[in-house]
Amino acid sequence: MSGAQRGSLWILRATGYGLRATKSRTSTIADLDHILTATGLHKSFGRGPARVHVLRGLDLAVRRGEFLAVMGPSGCGKSTLLHVLGLMTSPDAGRIVLNGGPVGRRPAEWNALRRTQIGFVFQRFNLLGELTAADNVAVSLRVRGLRADGHARDLFEALGVAHVARRKPSQMSIGEQQRVAVVRALAHRPRLLLADEPTGNLDSASSDDLLEQFRLVNRRDGQTIVMITHSADAAGRADRVVHMKDGRIVDGQP
Amino acid sequence: MAYLPLANLMHHKLRSALSAVGIGIGICMLITLSGLARGSLFEVAERLESVDADLIVSPRGWGENTADKSGSALPDKYAQVMLQRHGDLVAKAVCVFVWPMKLAGQDHRAAGVDAADWPMLTGHPHPTPPGRLYDPEGRFARWLEGQLLAPADANDDEVFDIPAAELARPGRDGLELVIDSRLAGAGGFRVGQKVRSAGHDWTIVGIVPAGGMTRVFLPRRTAQYLFGCGDITKSTMIFVKLRPGVDLGPAVRKLRATVPHDIVPLTRYRGMLLEKFGILFTYVDMVNSIALGIAFLFIMITLYTMVLQRTREIAILKSCGASDAFILRQVLAESALLTGAGTAVGIALSFAAAAAIEAVRPLLTVSITWKWIAVAVAAAAAGAIVSGLYPAWRAVRVDVVEALTLE
Repeated sequence: MSGAQRGSLWILRATGYGLRATKSRTSTIADLDHILTATGLHKSFGRGPARVHVLRGLDLAVRRGEFLAVMGPSGCGKSTLLHVLGLMTSPDAGRIVLNGGPVGRRPAEWNALRRTQIGFVFQRFNLLGELTAADNVAVSLRVRGLRADGHARDLFEALGVAHVARRKPSQMSIGEQQRVAVVRALAHRPRLLLADEPTGNLDSASSDDLLEQFRLVNRRDGQTIVMITHSADAAGRADRVVHMKDGRIVDGQP
Repeated sequence: MAYLPLANLMHHKLRSALSAVGIGIGICMLITLSGLARGSLFEVAERLESVDADLIVSPRGWGENTADKSGSALPDKYAQVMLQRHGDLVAKAVCVFVWPMKLAGQDHRAAGVDAADWPMLTGHPHPTPPGRLYDPEGRFARWLEGQLLAPADANDDEVFDIPAAELARPGRDGLELVIDSRLAGAGGFRVGQKVRSAGHDWTIVGIVPAGGMTRVFLPRRTAQYLFGCGDITKSTMIFVKLRPGVDLGPAVRKLRATVPHDIVPLTRYRGMLLEKFGILFTYVDMVNSIALGIAFLFIMITLYTMVLQRTREIAILKSCGASDAFILRQVLAESALLTGAGTAVGIALSFAAAAAIEAVRPLLTVSITWKWIAVAVAAAAAGAIVSGLYPAWRAVRVDVVEALTLE
């Protein structure tokens, strides 16, 4: 980020342009460069002998406008990492700074941040079966207190699924469902898009198509994307790849 | 945008329809049973209240039993006493002999009346030709014109005894009945038909519109003789019409000083009915409460099942940032929609049930009032909230990661 851009950001924050960091005494220049920083994340599941320590002091920073891929073997904690970064589950320890503001521990705060700052794409699309594609997007916007507008329509067009807007998921192909899920994740203009194995259930052609769409929104709109994948080919489309193992980033600049 | 709770319900049409019908049956029971109990009882009260009178004089000590008593216990002379001594207060005093008679399979409180008192006792327009007291179209064969006892006999203050053979003679005068149109419809009766009731054969001499004091009328002298052990000096009650402008309270106090029997306002009759038969309402209300409780338990089970089956959908909404309040509203909205549909079904069913009951049993009255529809709607609204609370709480507690991961 250039000096002029940094200065602009400081001005925006000083005027309180919807960013929490103005009130944070712990915001730093580094935080302003990064849309997301995670420090010392720990997460365990279960109790007693069955307790599993999934994240073990993980550190990660994501720059604004970056397309980051996180790779790792099965069971290394990739999905757990994404769930923690997506504020769907709380870490046992560690700190997360999102868009310059530290994330607290209150569920209500997480809900608010998920509504405004984060979009999530699941491996299994997770569309609501009783609604059409357009209504799936509209419900997502309604939850966020927004109405469907031209941006949503543009996304349908850009991702090539405008023709299925009035269809239900059962009437769409797998690839179409996943692209509708991407539309739903981006319709509210999130600052951060998290994608959990988005090509995991797609064939190669659909995978290529989806990854190209990710690159397109990243390049054209500056959308920050964090994608976890076990596919080297998918990871190769990203700006940066980090590797996870045993709950930590072991390779690549965190 | 499709309203999400409505879309969810339409996605499971059969389940939603069955739930709505379950609610509807409970609502229908509430409205119909209450309407039947109250309608039938209050119809009796309304018929008596149609009498153009202000007071009822009944035998001393009957109290709330006035509502269902009959026979001869009140001397007729008190009608004359009130007219003579309190002519400034009393405009009319009419004696009525009440006796139970079974017709069309149902007991009725038949009223023995004098023909001249017909307009006051039924609220129908004053007659024109003598002997045709309510027969503007000339449809009656006769109207209570027969005389079981000759006028000279009837003026004697003695007990009479007519031989049984004489009483059973065909065409014996005085054994005449006038019935109302509902009873005629229920029993298929027509003018001129012979019917047997209370141990005697009667001729139906007239059918009048329903809504009068009772469904069965007979000559008072006949009733006194046949059912009062031959004593023609006593009746069951006296209806008193006060003069215009007379205050009820002071008039009652003055009359009580002269007449040593119970004197109550006619408006008190409905209360006497309730005291006597109001336990029926308690029974009906208890049955209704159980029916509604079952119906709303049905709703709770349906919603709870839906929540369990849709944990993934709830998790998806939460992953989008849906607050607990949003999730709560969605579940309660589904509950409200289901209950609303069920209430509409129930109200429609209750009208159909009322029509069916009155068609099969014309003598029953099912009174569906706006008050009870409002009670049903309020009960449904409360039930929707209560039924939806636990499923909504369960929905709020859905763990996003667990729900999406397990799927």
